[in-house]
Amino acid sequence: MLDQNSNARPWLLLLPVLLFLAVLAAAALAVIRMSVGSNGDEWHSVSLSSYADLATPYYMKSLWLTLRLAFQSTVLAVLLAIPVAIAMARAKSKLARRLLLTGVLLPLLVNLLLQSYGWLIILGPGGVLNNSLLALGIVQRPVQWLYRENGVLLGLIQTAFPLAALPMASALKAISGSYEEAAATMGASRWQILRHVLLPPAMPGILSGALLVFAYNASAFAVPLLLGGRRVSMLAVLVRDQITPLLNWPAASATSVVLMLATLAVMALSQKLVQRSQRMLGDAQ
Amino acid sequence: MTSLAIPFLRRALPGQLTWLTGVLAAVVLILAAMPIITMIIMSFGASDTLAFPPPSYGLQWYRAAWHTFMSPDASDVLSMGQALGTSLMVAFATMLIAAAAAIPAAYALNRFNFPGKAVVEQFIALPMVYPLVMLGISLLLVFNYFPVELGIFRLVIAHVILALPFAVKNCAASIAGIGPEFEEAAYLMGARPLRAMFDVVLPLMRPGILAGMLFAFIVSFNEFTVTFFLYDVDTMTLPVWLYSRTVSSLDPTVFSFAVFIVLIDFGLIWLLEKLVGDDGVAL
Repeated sequence: MLDQNSNARPWLLLLPVLLFLAVLAAAALAVIRMSVGSNGDEWHSVSLSSYADLATPYYMKSLWLTLRLAFQSTVLAVLLAIPVAIAMARAKSKLARRLLLTGVLLPLLVNLLLQSYGWLIILGPGGVLNNSLLALGIVQRPVQWLYRENGVLLGLIQTAFPLAALPMASALKAISGSYEEAAATMGASRWQILRHVLLPPAMPGILSGALLVFAYNASAFAVPLLLGGRRVSMLAVLVRDQITPLLNWPAASATSVVLMLATLAVMALSQKLVQRSQRMLGDAQ
Repeated sequence: MTSLAIPFLRRALPGQLTWLTGVLAAVVLILAAMPIITMIIMSFGASDTLAFPPPSYGLQWYRAAWHTFMSPDASDVLSMGQALGTSLMVAFATMLIAAAAAIPAAYALNRFNFPGKAVVEQFIALPMVYPLVMLGISLLLVFNYFPVELGIFRLVIAHVILALPFAVKNCAASIAGIGPEFEEAAYLMGARPLRAMFDVVLPLMRPGILAGMLFAFIVSFNEFTVTFFLYDVDTMTLPVWLYSRTVSSLDPTVFSFAVFIVLIDFGLIWLLEKLVGDDGVAL
């Protein structure tokens, strides 16, 4: 009796959270069901026509664009996050740490719509970026950044890099600086320290940050909508377009299922790759 | 402090904070804040083009914004005040509900070992990687067939789902630092489990709980994508209201409203940072 009670207790405590997640699961199932319905008779018919319609060059291009931009923004966001994460993990002064964390949280938490307004001013034909590039003589005439892939990429990196920095910082914080010093005293080179002391324990943090950025940007909506306009149609924007003007629920659902599956596939794949590389790192030691 | 003993190593080690890393970090953060900074400067401009930097400065857009706020245009579907009210109400409800759900969950995940725990942990993190657009349309589908009219709770449910990973993780991080010996001591002193929970564990968890609640509030207050799918005229939040004003054209009045929102955000984030302080934010 007592034993059974202690088995039930964690589930009882988890119940409220699980209820909300059940709503999420039910909603996901509804979308999957909808995606195999046909337009007009969504709940009763079963057809794969929505998926077949996705096999057009237009959608394939959009899927490829989405994955490519998500991947590029992930690599660049992780690189940019490295110095920030080191500073967050190692800064000694309290004020510096406060400023760093505030600086990291602002782009993540402030409404993307407002940040896009700022980007519109920066990237516009007479914006700061073009003016500085012209002044520096790097370009001869204003570059069109808005409603182009490059502008969207900048926005994606800027809004998602905190997701890479935060897990990386907490992973680094867990590695005491004295390990590096110990290794250095024993005659390890910088490269050896990086490879054998720093990277193995930091890897989970870097990876989880990278995956967060990837998933976040693969399904980005506000940034491509506002900075990309109609020209840079990432999948999430297509999903919206199929509902608001077209009211084609099955098509929208099928698109978002594809988006979800593509994200999951890439995440699973990269997790496998990292596991393998960690095994190799382990073997090398 | 060992590093002081061997100063020649300090600059040589990877993963150590050198002046170069510090400068790089500062540059990255300033660049990341650029859109917000630019928009704030722009709102003080005095011309009606989007040229930056503005040729002259003034408060005319703030006056215009104040005017809009005080006497809403008859053509506006909804006033900003109403949208702000809805936003605050939704964010407040999200904060309370997310905390009420996250605290027991964090406790269960930290104090119990049970089959399926790893799966539950993964499941709780799911909303962080779940495509927002998909969440928007799937909730819309579900709510459309729901027999009861939910009103603003459509938004609250969506926002709680989005805020849960942040809330649970911050609560879990704070409970991880409290050993079970605190409760055991309370039991030894004759406290019943519930009493030990409320008088000993919860007060010790307070920083994490408050951080989780603030996170939930900020996430809800700034949420745009999912709300964009779920709102209707009676339940329009501030971000969606702002978007509806900019669909046709971008006038700098919007920047003044945006600065107002950013100021609120900045205050909340500063408060959040003060709460989590040295432990950092759990993500």
